[in-house]
Amino acid sequence: MLVLKNSVIDLRQSEKKTLFGFFSLYITLCVVILIFVSFIYFKFQKDFMLGQKRITLQNYSNEFIIQLKHLHVNFDKTKLYPRDKRFNTAIYDSDKKLIFSTLKSTKTKLDNIIYTTNKKIHFIKEPESYYLGARYVIIEINEDQNWLYSMQKHIFIITASGLIFMLIIGYFLLRLFLKPMRDALHLLDRFIKDTTHELNTPISAIVANIEMIDTTNLDEKTANKIKRIDIGAKTVSNIYQDLTYLTLNNKIMSQNENINLSDILHQRIDYFTTLADVKKIKFIKDIQNDLYLTMDVKKLSKLIDNLISNAIKYNKINGSIKVSLKPNLIIIEDSGIGIKKEQIALLFDRYSRFDKTVGGFGIGLNIVSMICKEYDLKINIDSQLNIGTKVEIKW
Amino acid sequence: MVKQLLIVLIIFYTSSTSASVYKNNCLKCHQDLPVSIDKYFYRYLLKHSSQTNVKKAMKDYLLNPTKNKTIMPEAFINRFGVKNKSKLSKKQLDIALDIYWQTYKVSNKLK
Repeated sequence: MLVLKNSVIDLRQSEKKTLFGFFSLYITLCVVILIFVSFIYFKFQKDFMLGQKRITLQNYSNEFIIQLKHLHVNFDKTKLYPRDKRFNTAIYDSDKKLIFSTLKSTKTKLDNIIYTTNKKIHFIKEPESYYLGARYVIIEINEDQNWLYSMQKHIFIITASGLIFMLIIGYFLLRLFLKPMRDALHLLDRFIKDTTHELNTPISAIVANIEMIDTTNLDEKTANKIKRIDIGAKTVSNIYQDLTYLTLNNKIMSQNENINLSDILHQRIDYFTTLADVKKIKFIKDIQNDLYLTMDVKKLSKLIDNLISNAIKYNKINGSIKVSLKPNLIIIEDSGIGIKKEQIALLFDRYSRFDKTVGGFGIGLNIVSMICKEYDLKINIDSQLNIGTKVEIKW
Repeated sequence: MVKQLLIVLIIFYTSSTSASVYKNNCLKCHQDLPVSIDKYFYRYLLKHSSQTNVKKAMKDYLLNPTKNKTIMPEAFINRFGVKNKSKLSKKQLDIALDIYWQTYKVSNKLK
């Protein structure tokens, strides 16, 4: 995508989707890996912190058990449960029933040895004798939150750095994957540029010479031959113009002027009449006079030419093409083979061709789309299989 | 009214009967011993921890008392010997042990 920014090559929608899918998958995978690594790091650091606290807790539990033993022995004299400012405690019997508790966090896990719960650390100790029936003694201290803040800071820095690093790697990977595609597209564009350059002189010579022939003085057979040459030359000329437009598009400055649309439409229909006659296609004109649009005349001609050319190309023998011009609207409607609904969205992609029985490179509608985009024209295509296609240009 | 009075009487009779099982069959003998009855409780608690385990161990000993099962020190057994097998039924023993547990359990006494 980025690597092709300054090139005449444009990635097709499906290729962009594939690249976007790849990049999304790559990012998701990176994020999952980073979360996993962060989790492992967090667990490791937490275990390390608990390990450091464990010695202190062990000492507290020993002190408490001694006090519990003293209470057990003297239970007939005192019933005062031992308390300490440094820690809270709880005792549970062998059925895990609470006997007494001074814990702040009541969420206990008697099967663990040391754990954190609600910002507290719990340490479980099983005394050798069950003083006052206590099989489990829980010692509770406050969890030092500093290590957690420090940990969050570390994890954020590591994750952010990791993600940036992965993104850079991803960018280079993407460039690597794009290279064959980019090379292929470059090759195709270079081929088109070279071909169009070589076609320029012979096409100009053919078209100029045919225009100079006066067919009225020729016999019918020769006139027909000249007509066929004229059709062929116009077809090649049309393709040549498309290819030139495509390869030089970014370098041509638009020369906008107020154009009489009715005149241009009549002119372009006349131009294509010979081509339409081959398939006995009739033009039905519904063109309002004196409607104007500010545009580059060459680009407008290209737009109309491509739409009419397609309407002829994909039409049936004895078919018709209706060309309508209304305020802010041009409609070109054919009685052709039509296209499937799911293919309409892909029509404007370069080199897209759905009917390979007719000629073409699949660039016509791509050019139409580019011109419409430049002049903010709205294009709407409606098609029904074996009934026809209707193209509307609105502004 | 008569029905309610009858229910109250039944409850009173049952509880007084239960209390008498413990009083007549446990306390009566232990009063004559130099070691008070609560000391046995704390020794059982020290070894068996929970209500279930303590009651089970006591019942097991009372039904079939042996030197191996006792929780009292050897010197005590040597002097007073192993007690005789209880003549109470299992049901009566359960009632007596329930009262014994409720009387000396520590959880509601700790402050």
